[in-house]
Amino acid sequence: MRPSLFLRVVATEARVHLAYRADFWIQSVLGVAAQVALAYFVWQAMFRESGATRIGGFDLTGMAVYYLVVVLLAKLVLGPEHAGRVSQDVYEGGLNRYLVFPTSYFLFKYAQSLGALLPAVVQLALLALAAPLVLASPEGVAITPGGAAMAAVSVGAANLLYFAMSFPVQCVAFWAENVWSLAVALRLAAGLLGGLLLPLAVFPEGVRAILAWLPFRFLFDEPVRVLLGQVAFLDWLEGLGLALAWTGAVLLGGRLVWRRGVLGYGGVGI
Amino acid sequence: MVRYLRLYLCFVRFSFTKALQFRLDFFFRVAMDAVWYAVNLGFFGVLYAHTSLLGGWTESQAFVFAAGVFLADALHMTVFANNMWWLPIFVNRGDLDYHLVRPVSSLFFLSTRDFAANSLLNVVLAAGILAVTLGRYPDPLPAERVVLYLALLLAGVLIQYSLHLLFLIPVFWTHSAHGLRELYYAFERFAGRPHGVYGGLLRRILVSILPFSLIASYPTRALFEGFSPSLVLHVVGVAAASLVVVSIAWRLGLRAYASASS
Repeated sequence: MRPSLFLRVVATEARVHLAYRADFWIQSVLGVAAQVALAYFVWQAMFRESGATRIGGFDLTGMAVYYLVVVLLAKLVLGPEHAGRVSQDVYEGGLNRYLVFPTSYFLFKYAQSLGALLPAVVQLALLALAAPLVLASPEGVAITPGGAAMAAVSVGAANLLYFAMSFPVQCVAFWAENVWSLAVALRLAAGLLGGLLLPLAVFPEGVRAILAWLPFRFLFDEPVRVLLGQVAFLDWLEGLGLALAWTGAVLLGGRLVWRRGVLGYGGVGI
Repeated sequence: MVRYLRLYLCFVRFSFTKALQFRLDFFFRVAMDAVWYAVNLGFFGVLYAHTSLLGGWTESQAFVFAAGVFLADALHMTVFANNMWWLPIFVNRGDLDYHLVRPVSSLFFLSTRDFAANSLLNVVLAAGILAVTLGRYPDPLPAERVVLYLALLLAGVLIQYSLHLLFLIPVFWTHSAHGLRELYYAFERFAGRPHGVYGGLLRRILVSILPFSLIASYPTRALFEGFSPSLVLHVVGVAAASLVVVSIAWRLGLRAYASASS
């Protein structure tokens, strides 16, 4: 796929997703505030009732910063739920036109999903500017320009990894009438196992050892810790390499599912 | 009343016929909810590895509460959720016209016509988890308390339906419900945590203006603390009041409905 076409698809999709401005503000202010407040109250109760001053290496302020960052970054990693859905193309027969396009369907869909991220990028920028005004920098957190640049790369890798994970799930649409339940199940599992629901540092030791072997930690936990300055440069490089290796492996699996699906695709939708 | 009951039975019959044609979707739904249950139980499991109490509840109590949340959600998903999904689409496309001319309450029709038969197994699954968590609860729980708990949980489902609809009705004016739908889902998460964790003004809001804590937290309180007239009145009163508010908001929305698609 030509880079100019890729960028044009990104720009078109971004315009579509910025069209509803009321939705944008509702999600960026109230939606994020609700999620962070929920986590804050749960952890406030945890610290109060357990009597602990640190849990999983975080004090209460550190935990609040973790959740603010992870909620915002998760929007960039996961993207809007219905952006560029493969299943929709299969159900409505819209896949036909993509099959005759002289370009990669996967890259086209990925460009669409990147364009759909623009509102989240603006939200992140706005809230990142406001955050230092309301939150004190807790102990063990050091956000630097270098760390932010490393985190940006990690978020990019995480976004690609999640897109690669979702692709085979969406391709199940070739055989099943409705795959949104599977997509939601993936989101839920990734949320818990990747560090969106809870920082992975608070999991018991045995569970953390298992999670270290899975790709989910590269979705949320790794980019957040990189941004908060808790990952050294060499560890970051190693993590990035592993995340990309996982992405390659998942893409390979997705390609197999896609090929089998397209072979049986009738082109009429349902 | 009998006419409505007969109509509802038709909806249910039709939904089962439809669900049996899409068998994989049936199992995918079960899988999705099973993952959601596991994620929530895992969430509480991890938290209780660091504390013995959360929001004033022990781990066994929190698991009973979580199971109550599952059951209320499964009922909501089965009876109302599909209809809530379609409502903004009908309003935007102007498809509401077909339903407004029918000789039954449009609110009843549009809230219940799509019974999710494929979610019914999730009700069984959630009820099973509730039975297990109640069975494993270390102290004896009198039967009348369990009955009261289940009755309040049903009132909680009505509150959940009312709140969901109240977040969607503005689509008559805004023409896009996406942001509000997302906002509802964000607020709905407050129902999934024990009410005792909230403090200050939010604690009061969650039992009055946005009564998400009444869906499962208050019924669970009734189960562990015993019969309290004020608590029962609170839950039942808010359920009744929220239904009245929904009906008023619905009528106002219909007045603003222009029928044209956008």
